[in-house]
Formats: sequence, structure tokens, C-alpha cells
Amino acid sequence: MVDEITRQTVTYGTYKQTLGAVLGDLTVKPLTGIPVAVAALYAFWSVFTSFAGELVTDGFMVKFFDGLWLPWFQAIWPDPGSWHYFLFIGNPAADTCFEAFGMLTSGLFVSVGVVLPAVFVFYLMMTLLEDSGYLPRLAVLMDTVLHRIGLHGYAIVPIILGLGCNVPAVTATRILETKKQRFIMMTLLAIFIPCGAQLGIMMSIIPDLIGVVILCLIIGFGIFGFVLNKIIPGENPEILVDVPPYNWPVKEYVIKKLWNRTKSFLKEAVPFVLLGILFVNLLYLGGVIQGLANLFEPVFVTWFGVPKETVGPLIAAFLRKDLAIAQLSIIPMTAYQMVASVVLVTIYFPCVATFVVMLREGWKELIAAIAVLFVVVFIYGGLIHAVGILLGVA
Amino acid sequence: MEHVDMKQENDRKITPLGFYFALLGLATLLFGMADILVWAGIRPGIEVGILEIAGDDFFRWAWGGFVMVCAGIFMLAGSARVETLQQSAKVVLGGVLVWVIAGTDIFARLCVAIPAGEASPAFLNSCSGFLTEFAPPYTPAMLLIPFTLGIVYLIRMHANDDS
Repeated sequence: MVDEITRQTVTYGTYKQTLGAVLGDLTVKPLTGIPVAVAALYAFWSVFTSFAGELVTDGFMVKFFDGLWLPWFQAIWPDPGSWHYFLFIGNPAADTCFEAFGMLTSGLFVSVGVVLPAVFVFYLMMTLLEDSGYLPRLAVLMDTVLHRIGLHGYAIVPIILGLGCNVPAVTATRILETKKQRFIMMTLLAIFIPCGAQLGIMMSIIPDLIGVVILCLIIGFGIFGFVLNKIIPGENPEILVDVPPYNWPVKEYVIKKLWNRTKSFLKEAVPFVLLGILFVNLLYLGGVIQGLANLFEPVFVTWFGVPKETVGPLIAAFLRKDLAIAQLSIIPMTAYQMVASVVLVTIYFPCVATFVVMLREGWKELIAAIAVLFVVVFIYGGLIHAVGILLGVA
Repeated sequence: MEHVDMKQENDRKITPLGFYFALLGLATLLFGMADILVWAGIRPGIEVGILEIAGDDFFRWAWGGFVMVCAGIFMLAGSARVETLQQSAKVVLGGVLVWVIAGTDIFARLCVAIPAGEASPAFLNSCSGFLTEFAPPYTPAMLLIPFTLGIVYLIRMHANDDS
């Protein structure tokens, strides 16, 4: 019977290597695979900046929101000195939506004009990498490096997802085997991985300094990952990865994935940005931000080397980090202060949506992650300030 | 014994196709090095005929230049005995890296060409304005595209082998 089943189900033949298979092998061998990974990241970032930055935001959205939307609201909304004008339209003398900081001006500009195109193109590129079969190869390639910080190759999935949005990235940490790995990944995600929304807004506000900010985050990711791996008890097992052959992504699947991911972003992010601006403006009106700024002035000015006005954006960062970075853009600062405050906003408390997902993963882990986070913000913020002083820029 | 020696000699032989890819690899390598050197400030910028290396941006010229250098090395490494599957794959991989850089350069031009620009009251660029964005000078990777099409021949050759 076994022979009969074997005869009917098993096909014998000579294995012949194909060009696709050899190319697949070359992309996992370090000597050839690392340049390919560098090229893939280059393409990823280049398409991201060209589409989201040059084409959609700078090409159309800035013109529409600053040239038509803001002047129209400023003209029709009554009483520029009133509280409702401050909440919904913002600064009556503003020329751009970044400066206005009203719920209907900056709120819509940030969420629809800047962040939506960034998130859309990020998810498109991510889906193409995933469906072409390149992502598992990247996991194999990154395995050795990620083992040094207590993770394994498949940690590249939450890391890349986190560059889009930290919410699905925290959920994706479940693909890691041990509690130790999941904790390290979740903590590093919450602290050092900027989401697509943040990247989009950074690209609009500090295009010349974004490289320095990313470099600070990568260094911090490596240092604190290494330290966490040393101090947290637990295992870091090896993995066996099934690497599929390269495929052309199927159009229908790409569209479906893209739509689902963008839809969930629209549902979660847009209300948060609008309500976030409303909440922060209410705090400004009530004098709470001014009070907190005065209270934390010694820490911000002396320890971190940034102006005390950054307290407001840090409070907004809990609601939406992209919103906070947009708010930073209207505070007069030096280049160093801008880099330091953007890094601080990024590594500071995770946004509320990420916070909720982390809570779902376990309250003990969340409290431990937050404790680590406060220590990291304090140490790393001070370290950046020290480097700034040594370089003579702070 | 004599048969084995002849086979090894044939294996080592650089065919016209291999010679072509060696030249292409060398040109790609030199262009990549030039991208990096111009970015590093060795020269203020190169513009020769329809070729331009501006070198004004780390991402495009240093990072992109590194990718071009790797592409050149892959093509050079695969040019000897290029008809074999393993060697062809190296050349194809080098070509794909050049296409990645050239493709992103073309996409960047397209993204700049579609909107009308800050000064204009219109949103969309005019037809002539759109076409002007695609006028020379071009980056080295864009200029190399027609020459890398030889790689399509290698892909087809091995596709026939597979069938």
C-alpha cells in the first residue's frame, strides 16, 4: 500500500538549478546579500521620499492647504481673537498650516497632507518586499547581527513594520519565541523606531537633518539592545527559516493588503491627530503647558539642552508623535536643538495607540518597558547633549 | 589529462559576451567611484556632455555610489565564463542593482515633473514643463541602462535552458 501511495504521489526527476534559484542564493550570502540589502533600502527610501515628499506633499498638498484651505478658513471663521478660533483655526497671523496649529488647519494638513501619502507609499513598498519573497531573505541575512542584541533574523519583520506603524509591529513581536526576545523587541520598538508618520513629518520639516536623527536612533537601538540582552535573563534560540522562491507580487493581493493597512491607519490616526491638537490647544488655553514648561525647565534646558517650550510637543507626543514633531517646527531652535528635540520626541513615551497594544500584550511587560524607557530617555538625552557640547554645537 | 586541460582552458576563456560585461562592469565601477569621490568633495561636480554627477547629496551619491560600485564588482566577477549559470547570476545581479539606481532616478524626475512647482498658480505642470524635466544631463546609472539590456539576453538564455 505504501508503495502504491508513493507511486501515485511522488514524482522523481533530476533537480536542475535555475537562474532564479541562484539569484535567491546570492541574496542570502553575506558577501553578495548585504549590497543587495543596501540597494533595497536605497530604493525603499528613494521611492518613499520622491513620492511622499516631492510629489504629493510638496507638489500638491502644501499648495492646496497653505494657498487655499488656510486662507479660506481664516477669511470665513469669525472673531480671530476668540477661544474657538484658537482651537479650530489656530494662529490668525499664520501663513502656513504648520504654523497655524488649529484642529481644522494643521490637524488635517498633518494627517491627510503629510502622513497619509507617507504611510501609503511605505505600505506599498513593504507589501512588494513581502510578496516578492525578499523579506525572509533579509531575515536570514540579519540573523547574525540581531543575535547580538538578543533577537533573531525574523525580528526584522516588527522592525520594518514599526517603520510604518508601531501598533501592528508590537503585535508582530509574537513571532519571536521567548519572553525575553518579545520584551527587548517591544521596548526597542517603542523607543527607537520612528513610525511612517514621524518619518513623513521629519522629511517635511528637517529634510537636511533627518540623516543625523536616524543615525542617533540606530546607534541608540544598537547600544540599548546590547545592554538589554546582557541584563535581561532568558534564552535567545536559533531559528530555522523556510525561504520561498522569488515571485512576482500578485496585483490583487497587493491592493488588498495595501487597502487594509491604509484603512486601519486612517481609522486610528486621523481622529487621534485632530483630537490631539484640540487637547493640546485646550491645555495651552488653560495654562497647563506653560506651568509644566516652567516646572521641567531645569531638566530640559540643563540636562537635554533644548528650549523649555518643547514640553508642549512632548505632551502632544503621547497622542501622536507626528503631531509633536510638527509642533516643534514652529519653536525657534538651533540645528542641534532641533535634532535633540526630535530624537527626544521619538524615544519618549510611545503614542497612546501603541501604549494600548502594549498593554494588551501584558501589563507587567508594559510597566517594565516604560521603566526602561524613562531611564533610556534620561541617559540618551543627556548623552546626545554631552556629544553636542563636545562637538561645540550645543 | 589533455582533455581536462582543454576543458579548464575553455572554462577560463573570456568570450565576447564576457568581455562586454567586463567592460560594462568596469564602467559601472568607475562611475560608482566617481559618484562617491564627487560627493566627498574631491571635485566640485562633473558635467560632461549629457552626463552629470552633482555629488550634492549623501543619500544619492554616497549611498547610491556604493550600490553602483557593488554592481560593477558583481559584473566583473561574473564576466569570466559568463555563460555558466552561477556566473550569469552575478552579472544579472549587478545589472539589477544598476536598474534599481536608474529606476529611482527616473522615478524622482517623474515626481518632480508632475506638479507645476511653487511659483506657478496651477497644480499640474504643462506638457512642455513635464518633458523638460526629462531633458539631459542624466546620471551615470541612467546612461548605463541601454548597455545593461544585454543582461536580458542572459536571462532569456537561461530561461531557454530551464524549459
